[in-house]
Amino acid sequence: MSTATPAAPTRKPMPSALTFDLRAKCSTTKARASTLHLPHGDVPLPIFMPVATQASLKGLTYDQLRQTGCQLCLNNTYHLGLKPGQAVLDAVGGAHKLQGWDRNILTDSGGFQMVSLLKLATVTEEGVRFLSPHDGTPMLLTPEHSISLQNSIGSDIIMQLDDVIATTSPDHARIHEAMERSVRWLDRCIDAHKYPERQNLFCIIQGGLDLELRKQCCAEMVARDTPGIAIGGLSGGEAKEDFCRVVDTCTGLLPEHKPRYVMGVGYPEDLIVGVALGADMFDCVWPTRTARFGNAVVPTGTLNLRHRSYAEDFRPVQEGCTCTICRPKEQGGLGITRAYLYHLTAKETVGAHLLTMHNVHYLLSLMGSARQAILEDRFPAFLREFFGTLYGKDYPEWVVTALRGVGVDLMA
Amino acid sequence: MGSESSPQPSNEMLAFHTTASILTPRVGRLAFAGRKAISTPHYIPLGSRGVVPHIAHDVMRDHTAIGSLFVGLEDFVERQSQKSPPPVYTIPTAQDESALRKFVALPDDLLLIMGARREPPIQCPPSNTPNSVAIYTSVGFRQLEAGQYIDAVQNLNPDIVVGLADLVLGHTPGTKRRGKMVDRTHAFTTHATGQLYGSAVPEENRSKAAYFAPVLPLDNAQQSIYIDDLESEIRPYISGLALYESASLSAITEPLGDLPRLLFSAPKTPHDVLRDVSLGADLLTIPFMGVCSDAGIALDFTFPSAPNTTDSQPRHLAYDLWSPSHKTDTSPLSESCQCYACRNHHRAYIHHLLTTKEMLAWTLLQIHNHHTMDTFFANIRESISRGTFEIDAQTFQRAYVSELPKPTGQGPRLRGYQLPASGPNQPRRNTRAYGKLDDAMERFAESQSSLATPDTGAEGLEEHGFGAKQTS
Repeated sequence: MSTATPAAPTRKPMPSALTFDLRAKCSTTKARASTLHLPHGDVPLPIFMPVATQASLKGLTYDQLRQTGCQLCLNNTYHLGLKPGQAVLDAVGGAHKLQGWDRNILTDSGGFQMVSLLKLATVTEEGVRFLSPHDGTPMLLTPEHSISLQNSIGSDIIMQLDDVIATTSPDHARIHEAMERSVRWLDRCIDAHKYPERQNLFCIIQGGLDLELRKQCCAEMVARDTPGIAIGGLSGGEAKEDFCRVVDTCTGLLPEHKPRYVMGVGYPEDLIVGVALGADMFDCVWPTRTARFGNAVVPTGTLNLRHRSYAEDFRPVQEGCTCTICRPKEQGGLGITRAYLYHLTAKETVGAHLLTMHNVHYLLSLMGSARQAILEDRFPAFLREFFGTLYGKDYPEWVVTALRGVGVDLMA
Repeated sequence: MGSESSPQPSNEMLAFHTTASILTPRVGRLAFAGRKAISTPHYIPLGSRGVVPHIAHDVMRDHTAIGSLFVGLEDFVERQSQKSPPPVYTIPTAQDESALRKFVALPDDLLLIMGARREPPIQCPPSNTPNSVAIYTSVGFRQLEAGQYIDAVQNLNPDIVVGLADLVLGHTPGTKRRGKMVDRTHAFTTHATGQLYGSAVPEENRSKAAYFAPVLPLDNAQQSIYIDDLESEIRPYISGLALYESASLSAITEPLGDLPRLLFSAPKTPHDVLRDVSLGADLLTIPFMGVCSDAGIALDFTFPSAPNTTDSQPRHLAYDLWSPSHKTDTSPLSESCQCYACRNHHRAYIHHLLTTKEMLAWTLLQIHNHHTMDTFFANIRESISRGTFEIDAQTFQRAYVSELPKPTGQGPRLRGYQLPASGPNQPRRNTRAYGKLDDAMERFAESQSSLATPDTGAEGLEEHGFGAKQTS
């Protein structure tokens, strides 16, 4: 095909600043448990990564974030590029020093925000053309700019700039072009990357919902031997069945000894299905955002704590939860009740802080239990229990289909 | 002098050891059974809906020295029908456990002080009546009847309760009104103390809460009958005094001298705080701490003066972190400050958090400002004990400017219960967070200001590394 650069055979070898230690594989599904050794500490996989968009996890101190068990969180390149900006990042010495976080950071490339937040952004071969929001001057963000910014940020994992378009786009030719362009941009990112020995560049598999395109993209990108691989362009409103098919297809083609990151996925059911399909890393703003709206994530779904029915509900958010806010005072927790969160939510920022802690802790510990189940090779039983609690016996079709594809029949 | 215990132990739970002096600074120790003792003079942190704003419970426990909290009952009584009492009344509690403490999940050793209204209270359009005061809940104005307030004390069990007072906010009351203030407050106090502790109440039903009787912000002569009663008939029932202006400190008579004095004088600066301490205040409420944190202002003073003050120019009391001069400043908020925020973060980060409207900015500033005030009061107590307070206060006066900086940046979104009711044709309280669902409007909003908009033009963007200008 035409996407590969002609100089492909002489590609420079890709250094890596991580080691991926595959600990166990589920004997039924494609799930894996592993440990990712990154410059700022070890990360157990599979993992959910909370999103600290602007170098702060929505009101939490970094000690509170540590207490949720978080080893790796996200920052957004687009937002950090606008504020505080590259000059400040360089002066301060990178994002770790800026925010006082001594564990790992992953940054996205800024391409997604560029296209979704900015009006009049157009993508050309050179990069993303957009109008400066302030004065309307035409501007251009290239893969080189994105990598340079991420080099200044100093994140442990950096993402290539990719050509993001909605998977639901009806324009197949455009999706094809975006996939091929993402491969070409990956090469430019690899060339522009100044610190491959301390920052890990991940490629992003594109190709919409077309499995053929996804396969081609996998082949091209795997050949470039980046330290890790992301599956992008998903969770943009596509059908869950399509989402599962794409993840399943890609993980089937990716090398076993590299971490696989599915971008923008955060609902608990999606995470667990993703793990069963062989993915290792996930990120999403949903758990933290929904916390600010007064929603608590629990094994049976979500609780809208602004609802009046919780005004006199003096139980913890989640019975038996080990997070700081749910644990009773006798066990060193805070003993916060649903009724008190009802009292605070949307009125005091502390209400948001407390629920954010719970939600992040819930997703991290959910992934921890999944990991433990994989290590003990009882992941299929874990799946049954998790989905049984979440849905009763009323499983959604897509979950049943997806899990059947990896050898677990929930209906059995 | 130096009476080591109160002559009349009005409340067996509360012990206050101090000198019974009047109109001079004094140190003391306020100990409520089961709670952390408070060395006085000290400030009482102000709560909103049961928390110190922006400080989550674990942050308070792990990173602050907060050991007491003032809460207003009005934050908890949105509903008040007989059939469905407010949730705080229905929480199941063990014997002698405070329902209020349990509801807001505060630590067992924290001294909980309850008043009818938040501090500072917001002026209510409806006025007080002979048997109720107007309060402002998050759903609107209401009258809180004296009987309901007594019920609240009995049901919620705070450690200290500030008695109901008929106060006039926003303007100076006329002669007739002042007479009413005294009569009503006198009646409130007599009635409440009788209901809570009176001899008619069976021993086991008497309230454990310590009652702080209000002293009105009026001349002594105007409330002399009330004060006389406080000294005599009511005296056995009260454990402290609540004052609403600094001048009231001179209204305290010898027989009331050994009671702890809780002051709601809304000081504007640390200088005002020192004045109140010099007049004998024991416990102070300081609204400007929270106001500063919200505005992005870090308090930066030590008592009696900063260690390396060499220049003759008076130093600032605080500074504004919104100022772009802090953009790349990696120094702590205050030199040698040991608070959590200063040990872990720097000015550049807090400036960044403020400009991006991240909630953590206010959390870190609250931690720092409370720590600064803790140190300030610790030094004040030492200075009083050394006997150098007067000289030290003068040194402070000379060393620092007289005012706090004016806020420039935008604080957190304000809620209804934090602001006076708006009249007709008033500007919006908060800026619009979302534009209309109209592309042109959105673009306009984006060009004005939005989360994702840099404060710079194309050149600035280029400088930010955010792409290159197109020459073509």
